[in-house]
Amino acid sequence: MFVEIQQAAAQVFFDPHVWLIVVGSAIYGIFLGAMPGLTATMGVALFVPITYWMEPLPALAAIVTMVACAIFAGDLPTTLMRVPGTPASAAYADDAYALAKRGEASQALGTALWFSVTGGIFGAILLMLVGQQLSGIASWFSVSEYFWLYLIGLSCAVVVGKDGILRSAIGLVFGLLLSTVGLSAVYGKARFTFGHPELFQGINFIPAMIGLFGLSEVLRGVMQNESRGSVAMKDGVGTNLFRPAVEQFWKRNRHWWRSSLIGTVIGAIPGAGADMAAWVSVSVSKRFSQKPEEYGKGSTEAIADACAGNSSSLAAAWVPALVFGIPGDSVTAIVIGVLYMKNLQPGPEIFEQQATLVYSIYFVFLLANLVMLPIGWLAIHACRQVLRVPKAMLLPIITLFCVVGSFSINGSQFDILVMLAFGVLGLACERYRISIGAMVLGLILGGPLEERFVQTLSGSQGSFTGFVDRPAAILLAFICFVIWGRVLWSGIRRFQTG
Amino acid sequence: MRFMSSQILVNRWGVLCLALTMLCVGCHRDDAFPSRPLTLLCPWSVGGGTDRVSRQVAYQLEQVLGVPVNVINATGGSGVTGHTRGSQARPDGYTLAMVTVELNMLHWRGLTSVNYQDFQPLHLLNRDSAALFVKEDSPYKSLDELRNAIRSEPGKLKSSGTAFGGIWHVAVAGWLDQQGLDPTATNWISINGSGPSIQELNAGGLDFICCSLPEVDTLLAAGKVRCLGVMADERVDGFEEVATFKEQGHEWSIAGWRGLAAPLGVPAERLSVIEAAVSEVAQSEELREFMGQAGFNLSLETASEFGETLQVQDRIFEKVLTGPAFESLSGDHFGPMLFPSLLLAILFVLGLFWSLQGRSMDQVSSREPGGSMIRPLIVIVACVFYLSASEWIGFVMSSTTVVFSLVWMAYYDRSPWYRIKLAGISSVLLSISIYQVFAVWLRVPLPRGWVGW
Repeated sequence: MFVEIQQAAAQVFFDPHVWLIVVGSAIYGIFLGAMPGLTATMGVALFVPITYWMEPLPALAAIVTMVACAIFAGDLPTTLMRVPGTPASAAYADDAYALAKRGEASQALGTALWFSVTGGIFGAILLMLVGQQLSGIASWFSVSEYFWLYLIGLSCAVVVGKDGILRSAIGLVFGLLLSTVGLSAVYGKARFTFGHPELFQGINFIPAMIGLFGLSEVLRGVMQNESRGSVAMKDGVGTNLFRPAVEQFWKRNRHWWRSSLIGTVIGAIPGAGADMAAWVSVSVSKRFSQKPEEYGKGSTEAIADACAGNSSSLAAAWVPALVFGIPGDSVTAIVIGVLYMKNLQPGPEIFEQQATLVYSIYFVFLLANLVMLPIGWLAIHACRQVLRVPKAMLLPIITLFCVVGSFSINGSQFDILVMLAFGVLGLACERYRISIGAMVLGLILGGPLEERFVQTLSGSQGSFTGFVDRPAAILLAFICFVIWGRVLWSGIRRFQTG
Repeated sequence: MRFMSSQILVNRWGVLCLALTMLCVGCHRDDAFPSRPLTLLCPWSVGGGTDRVSRQVAYQLEQVLGVPVNVINATGGSGVTGHTRGSQARPDGYTLAMVTVELNMLHWRGLTSVNYQDFQPLHLLNRDSAALFVKEDSPYKSLDELRNAIRSEPGKLKSSGTAFGGIWHVAVAGWLDQQGLDPTATNWISINGSGPSIQELNAGGLDFICCSLPEVDTLLAAGKVRCLGVMADERVDGFEEVATFKEQGHEWSIAGWRGLAAPLGVPAERLSVIEAAVSEVAQSEELREFMGQAGFNLSLETASEFGETLQVQDRIFEKVLTGPAFESLSGDHFGPMLFPSLLLAILFVLGLFWSLQGRSMDQVSSREPGGSMIRPLIVIVACVFYLSASEWIGFVMSSTTVVFSLVWMAYYDRSPWYRIKLAGISSVLLSISIYQVFAVWLRVPLPRGWVGW
């Protein structure tokens, strides 16, 4: 095994070609992630025909780097303009933007970058050590386990809400309800479409997210006539981006271990992904934090733990793809395609037969994260210039970005309409302090949750015992009940004390 | 002082802006087809099999035609969205559509009125036959054993491969029907996509699945699953060890396919350019190699053959989907409104709690929106203007108008001349640079309108 690790390390670190590709794709990935509405998946898909002429390792290196960097870069527009670049950023959009408004954008972005990098490195190293064992997790997950997993993810969104459980829960259920619009995947029947063919595709969560966060902020800005001054007049921390982040890293290293571990485990479950990892890490982090009241209002702890979580999940997502050929998300689906094109057969033997390749993929994750540190630093400094644009000018720019971003995801005019509607809805939610973060997660997970719910029910011929007839399902159900038990208990106590 | 520096800024940007505009307008337009990028609509999401084929074809078309070919994933609604958009696209030859087997199925299920007659077929590219798989430790060793098990205990065996009414579901239902069994004799769990279905089989939640051979290749080669047979007339290349249904005495074959088509009404001279390019790509060694390595079964048919195939297939699906066999399947015991009504109930309870909590805790948000309602309305009106105008006047002009009006509004307290200059320059600069970044570098097909940009 050590021979293979040595070979892999040599292949990755001593090949200038790989370095060149990693640096190039890092820049491309950051650029892509920073544009609202453009996703890492789209970048990777555009890139695939080019991989045809590349060696397997450089091709995979480019994909790895692009994805890792795009996930971090999503934090840039989230922090500076409150337009989440990727859905994984929605978990801490409020924190990041609140910090930026207080003039601490550098601190928010420095924290995000530092913890994305360290989380990613953690994930890569852990997989090198126990990747093969981790692949077993996937085979525990049948539909009933997924049902509980999604429910836990949603419960986490409720727990982290800044304005109380009730308001988060309302936001969440409303989001779930909106996710049922369109042609239902389970039944193949149209619901709430009122005969409009455009509504068949349902509500795409990316334009919805851009509207809820980005456009609503524009509307609020012009309404309160905030045209004077910029987002943050001063940016206190100056050029020393990492100091607060590194200090926090040493002081709270236990939290970092935990968040990265959560991210890695969730990543290894096909289809759970970085969004889920971010939400779960934040809510666990809030539970153990000394300052839980700050979450959602500009807490660097929330940003740190979420970034560590979503970044460490990325490497783990490759495990089920490599071992079973089951894609967890669209990026790993493309990866499987690339592997086939290179005559590399994914499968349980890949750890033995292609050990060098597998280890070099993990080394590429290491390298990508290391390269991301300086390039991300440059990107933060470049993007910080946005803060100097007068708000009167920035609001029209953000509006245009919202329009173009929501259009570019599917090339559909209808999505712009969705973005507009959700912009107004976001404004209303802010007025009543309904959690829009929870609403976005509800929209994302609503479809899969319903599918798993109905699939479990029809698998057990309509009996509810189908939800708890496997050991893993019982365990997950137990975790879910503990979360809700705690929530209800604290609610009752507060009610009694007045 | 501030005004002065702004003045300088305005002048300096003004020059740059003029230069950029000239650069953009300078893009000459001639009558040769194609003179600008093409769009290829893919009805399925990024990363899936259809998407991969679409992107490879787009990439090769680009080299033949000499202009970029951008793939748009018009997803959702089990393919309804993509096929509808493909058939309704402007027939100027600049939009092509990837069509899949669902084109022959969706209209028989009453989900859309779009059918194969709304398209001009260009070329069939691929055909993947359905196959049945069980886990390695499954007791069923042959097709007959599986059928007998289904016959002895109808409704007990759990199976999947796609969502309810999808191609692999129709394949299994049709097979059961052909064997004289009730199509509902197997409990079809509606799992969206073959990937999650394979995961479910692997986790032990299903008894058998139906999908195409390449999709299960990994687990098949590793011996984790067993293939009971492929629903094809002849054995499939690359999977010669898998017996067909016919060989096992089951007269049944069905396949999913992918092909290229254009909306109806493309001018003849443009159509011939496209047809020539498409068949050059289809016959190319590069595509053959790609399809082989990616595990797709290359199956080529020219426009006229493809058109006939569409017609024949449509009759077959009519028989299966509108026949009594499938009719009995559509009655499902968990209605589609079960989940939404559950959610509504929860929302109602939460709302009740909220109102019970009283307004005392509900102190008004610190971000209380005060001030004018007119301004947000202007933002929305501007976006709606963009929405309705961009298809006609193109992205650059409509977005310039939007930004101009918003900047104009924001600097309401400045002199009109300053506002015009600032708004004019910033809007032109911004929309052209966004156009450059999105449409030229990142190749997002922004609305073009009749000017071309």
